[in-house]
Amino acid sequence: MKPALVFVAALVGMAAGVQLLAHHSFAAEFDASKALRLTGTLTKVEWTNPHIYFYLDVKDDNGNPVRWTCESGAPGALSRRGFKRGDLKLGDTIVVDGYRAKNGANLIDARRVTLADGRIVSGASAGDGGPQ
Amino acid sequence: MTLRHAVQGVAVLGALAALAGGVFAQGRGLTTVDVKSTRPTPRTASGKPDLSGYWKGTTDTRPVGNIGKDLPGWKLPLTPAGEAALQHNLTATIDPESLCIIGGIPRHNASGLPFEILQGANKIAFLYWYSYFRLIPIDASRKHSDDPDPSFFGEELGRWEGDTLVVDSIAFKDEKVWIDENANPHSDALHVVERWTRPDADHIHVETLIEDPKFYTRPFTYSRTWVLGQPDEELQEYACSENNVDAAHLGFGPGPIRPDGTRGYLNPAPLPPPIPRTAPGKP
Repeated sequence: MKPALVFVAALVGMAAGVQLLAHHSFAAEFDASKALRLTGTLTKVEWTNPHIYFYLDVKDDNGNPVRWTCESGAPGALSRRGFKRGDLKLGDTIVVDGYRAKNGANLIDARRVTLADGRIVSGASAGDGGPQ
Repeated sequence: MTLRHAVQGVAVLGALAALAGGVFAQGRGLTTVDVKSTRPTPRTASGKPDLSGYWKGTTDTRPVGNIGKDLPGWKLPLTPAGEAALQHNLTATIDPESLCIIGGIPRHNASGLPFEILQGANKIAFLYWYSYFRLIPIDASRKHSDDPDPSFFGEELGRWEGDTLVVDSIAFKDEKVWIDENANPHSDALHVVERWTRPDADHIHVETLIEDPKFYTRPFTYSRTWVLGQPDEELQEYACSENNVDAAHLGFGPGPIRPDGTRGYLNPAPLPPPIPRTAPGKP
């Protein structure tokens, strides 16, 4: 792994950490012991308050697409940190690193998003008490 | 790692640190570091301090979201009824704010989110994220109503005591309310007295007295200072009910509270390492 990318990730996280936007507690919705990575095809984007949502088709072990809901912060907070609506294009292959919902739904807190062009952006709902 | 990679890494780090430093220094985020100010308190035509501005919390406010911030060990003086109400909030209620219910006072004063004040001669408006507001009359002759209707912000009366704006509030709701982000409770006996000052152009400060004899054995205080935002910063639309998908997935209470008084897990599992970005023109 290239050191520059470690720095990028660290600084994105640091920048997110000082922005306090807390619609709800991370721990009320997500399980911090269930970190996972999803790689899938972007099928839908909702650039809305109080969170943005985007939806991925992720292939299961049998190659069948499984729909996952990816939750990130609010549009205003995301766009201020450089994660824009135009960064998400239907059909893109997106990698999401985050934490699964406590209730076992196919819902992930998309804290780190690797876009189709390889750029890494923070999707965290910062200030929610979640991992930084 | 080659020397060239190391140099590139340091260069990227430096550039991003400068960027991040710029962000912090200019205070473009939702919260900011504190600043020193020599600019005098702005005043209205009547000579009173003008509290108007876009106000942002500072990194000195810890723990954010905890109304017990100024108490030793953040320990609130709960009565037995208050302790029972806390346990109810933790185990049987979803955060009302996450369900798009107004947070009210004093919760909004403990929030990590900025707010905006617009001050008139006889009224003052506090505007909040979530597109909520409270409108407070400034009139020392007004008294609290007989049997006022309960509300999330309460019945609020403002008056000047010298350069201090005093806001006295009663008549709060006792359902679907948390007094802070950590699910602490308040009852309909809540009485809040806020004392707002603007010691210079760049700071606003509140001293809050919180009384609730049903749930707390004694009054306690909460104080906080915010920093003025940049001239072009202002509240944005934040429609909580627009697409509240998460509401169906939320558990009861705020989740675990860490020893530092904030919400969250103490030892979260690490995310997978970031994916290295392939340089253009390279496989």
